[in-house]
Amino acid sequence: MTTVSRRRFLQAASAAVLSIAIPLPFAQAQSRPRNSQTGNIGNAYLRISADNAVVAVLPTAEMGQGTHTGQLMILGEELGIAPDQIRVEMPLRPAEPYRLFFGQMRSVGSYGIRAWYQPLRTAAAQARSVLTAAAAKRLEVSAGQLAAEDGAILHRPSGRRLPFGDLVAEAARLPLPQQPALRPPSERRLTGRPMRRVDTPAKINGSAVFGIDVKVPDMLHGAVRMSPVYGAEVESFSRESIAGFPGVVDIARVPNGVVVIADSWWRAKKAADALAIRFTKTPNDKLDSSALSAAMRAGFNKAMPQVVRNGDSDAGFKNAAKRVEAVYEVPFLTHICMEPIVCTAHERSDGVELWMPTQAHDIVRMAVERVTKFSNAQMTLHTTYLGGGFGRKTHGEIVEQAILASRAVGRPVKVTWAREDDIQQGYYRPIMMAKLRAALDRKGKIAALHIQLSGPQMGRTFEHVTIKDNRDFFSVAVLVDQPYAQHFALDHRHLDIPMPISPWRAVSSSQNGYFLEAFIDELAAAAGMDPLAFRRANLSGQHRHLAVLERVAQMSRWQKPAARGIHRGIAVVASYGSVVAQVVELRLQNEVPKVERVYVAIDCGRAINPDSVVAQMQGSVVEALAAALRHQVPIADGRAQRSNFHDYQPLRIDEMPAVEVEIVNTGAPLGGVGEPGLPPLAAALANAVHSATGKRIRKLPVLDEGRLAI
Amino acid sequence: MITFTLNGRRVSVDVEADTPLLWVIRDTLGLMGTKYGCGIAQCGACTVHMDGQPVRACAAPVSTAAGRELTTIEGLSPDNSHPLQRAWTELDVPQCGYCQSGQIMSAAALLSRSPRPSDAEIDNAMRGNLCRCGTYPRIRAAIKLAAQIQ
Repeated sequence: MTTVSRRRFLQAASAAVLSIAIPLPFAQAQSRPRNSQTGNIGNAYLRISADNAVVAVLPTAEMGQGTHTGQLMILGEELGIAPDQIRVEMPLRPAEPYRLFFGQMRSVGSYGIRAWYQPLRTAAAQARSVLTAAAAKRLEVSAGQLAAEDGAILHRPSGRRLPFGDLVAEAARLPLPQQPALRPPSERRLTGRPMRRVDTPAKINGSAVFGIDVKVPDMLHGAVRMSPVYGAEVESFSRESIAGFPGVVDIARVPNGVVVIADSWWRAKKAADALAIRFTKTPNDKLDSSALSAAMRAGFNKAMPQVVRNGDSDAGFKNAAKRVEAVYEVPFLTHICMEPIVCTAHERSDGVELWMPTQAHDIVRMAVERVTKFSNAQMTLHTTYLGGGFGRKTHGEIVEQAILASRAVGRPVKVTWAREDDIQQGYYRPIMMAKLRAALDRKGKIAALHIQLSGPQMGRTFEHVTIKDNRDFFSVAVLVDQPYAQHFALDHRHLDIPMPISPWRAVSSSQNGYFLEAFIDELAAAAGMDPLAFRRANLSGQHRHLAVLERVAQMSRWQKPAARGIHRGIAVVASYGSVVAQVVELRLQNEVPKVERVYVAIDCGRAINPDSVVAQMQGSVVEALAAALRHQVPIADGRAQRSNFHDYQPLRIDEMPAVEVEIVNTGAPLGGVGEPGLPPLAAALANAVHSATGKRIRKLPVLDEGRLAI
Repeated sequence: MITFTLNGRRVSVDVEADTPLLWVIRDTLGLMGTKYGCGIAQCGACTVHMDGQPVRACAAPVSTAAGRELTTIEGLSPDNSHPLQRAWTELDVPQCGYCQSGQIMSAAALLSRSPRPSDAEIDNAMRGNLCRCGTYPRIRAAIKLAAQIQ
């Protein structure tokens, strides 16, 4: 194959990426008329009223990633007001100005800052422009003598100060400029400096409202009883079996199960557990993990649909000094958001009202359209704080359940899943197997690389929007634009599985980063080179990769021997517009690896809130480390073999390694922060385990029942 | 009827005696700061104080609260002025925030019995409280800061 096909693919890929990275033409949002009925200044993202209230209507949900604080920094800096003086709202339904993800409104893809920076700045600059013009007229001075600061327009020569609210009536009569002047870098007062989160006060006294905390008048509570086997439906259930259970009001049939509705969640839960219910038999009743692994392995022997053909990898293999091949595998992972899956719904004759923690407002709308006669305009969606999201809160099944429950009783119902439901009902990061082959020349250069993936296509979960010509962009991140080999081939064979799959933080980058960077370490060993030196030699021209590698090498003193008993591994992965290098330091305790320290260097372009970047790197390390060390959801008899935190344990505080983070700015455009910290970790860990034991970790998790699984 | 003191006020509830205290606090009494995470005392999101001791409200039947004094996150201070809340603010600890009520209640019980806790004491007191966002380094630092400012 030729480079032309690669170029075509990249064009197709960048068309998909562009719709994420580049906002809709902003003019569309700007052209919305200000609200002349109330006399406020307003566009889709900002509202200022005569009582000095400044309200931001933010396009992405707050799930811990700090998106609201970052967006308020952007708005506040451009407008001239402190972030904590701005009240936050979210849109009550998806609409065009908020749809930047394949035409949908979603809080995903680590784009809360990088994609919204320009639209939010422009929105604030529009408001500042008309406020300044109104003040210039009032004070009879030129606009050039005025500055917007601390919620007011200031005339420095005279010291006169007009609060925004005093100017709103006049400013609202002025047309909003389509392309307002933006503040120059010299006027940056907020972005680029550490700022405390605006949501902290409510999160330390119990007042923050998460989805599970919603209270609506006349509300009932729902607990679910769903099929333990994927793909089964309810065959029958017996209302009599829970007759006499106190507080129970009704039972609603929903896909795959029922919702038991009662006057408190505990009463609903007790009845749901006691309910006599039968599920249909399915072809999945005997499915287990080993059969799924065998099916992925068999995929390599079938026709492998091509994703990338770049250069001539066949020639590279023919002339190789050395050939290396390895097969890697990752298990199902679940998200275990601390806040379980929850939604409150009230279906009325004129529409449906929802209160919930969601990352995917248009997915909620689609669920409403599936189970009601209502359209987007008849849906009111109150977005709460999310007690963690990690990709899990992008699905609509809980919306359907809550609406069907509300319909059954004619009242609002809050449906809350128990932790066991959350862990056992699927929506997993998919299993995946990768066969990697490489050819090395005599100088230790990668002459050819061929990667084959066998496992489910993620894009099938979301109406195939990421699938073009049977290539799923959601499944091949990191690999599709791997930085190492000129002569490169990538294939992916899809495997149909019955359990629902879901983006898990960093989506396919999480496993693909592991496959690639653990394999690169194998190549370094085959070439007889130090893992850092081998990467340097094979990353020529990749200046962002090299910059973070050099920084992490300095931080970890990679060039010097490790301290006694310490073993190190290194990895570097580009994802979501950022590049992250990590070094893991571990010690073996009774032959079990104990990670003591992780060094992280990230190039995310200019960091809007550097402290938030540090927090996200710390959090990414904790999440990725727990997953790589011990997380998996094995399947047996068609059912999940994990149920709660005792057998699917996140890292605890006494297992937390020290995490040192440095931000490297190479002048690249704004990159994502919420996810790019995960993909290098599993590989850096596996590489450190190899350094400690001489054994390659080609299958995750690293530990099986607390012991090294090799 | 089961009667106890909640954040300084006497309350009586008429619920099944085996109802977990967590759901009485949340659904019956309407205080939503105490969270459900697992239902089996594995995550600590539901931590409250019973006569000053930290307990996992999800696994404590309401009957165990009879005649006791309970404190929830809402009762820790009227205005975010508890040393832990000040330290949590200073170091910007929370991310998603869902586990933080339980973290702070466990830390408050720790500080009241050990005003200057060592790392090992922090580990022992806090290892029952899960955080999925990875705020552990800041939690540890904030407990130490609170110990200084209290």
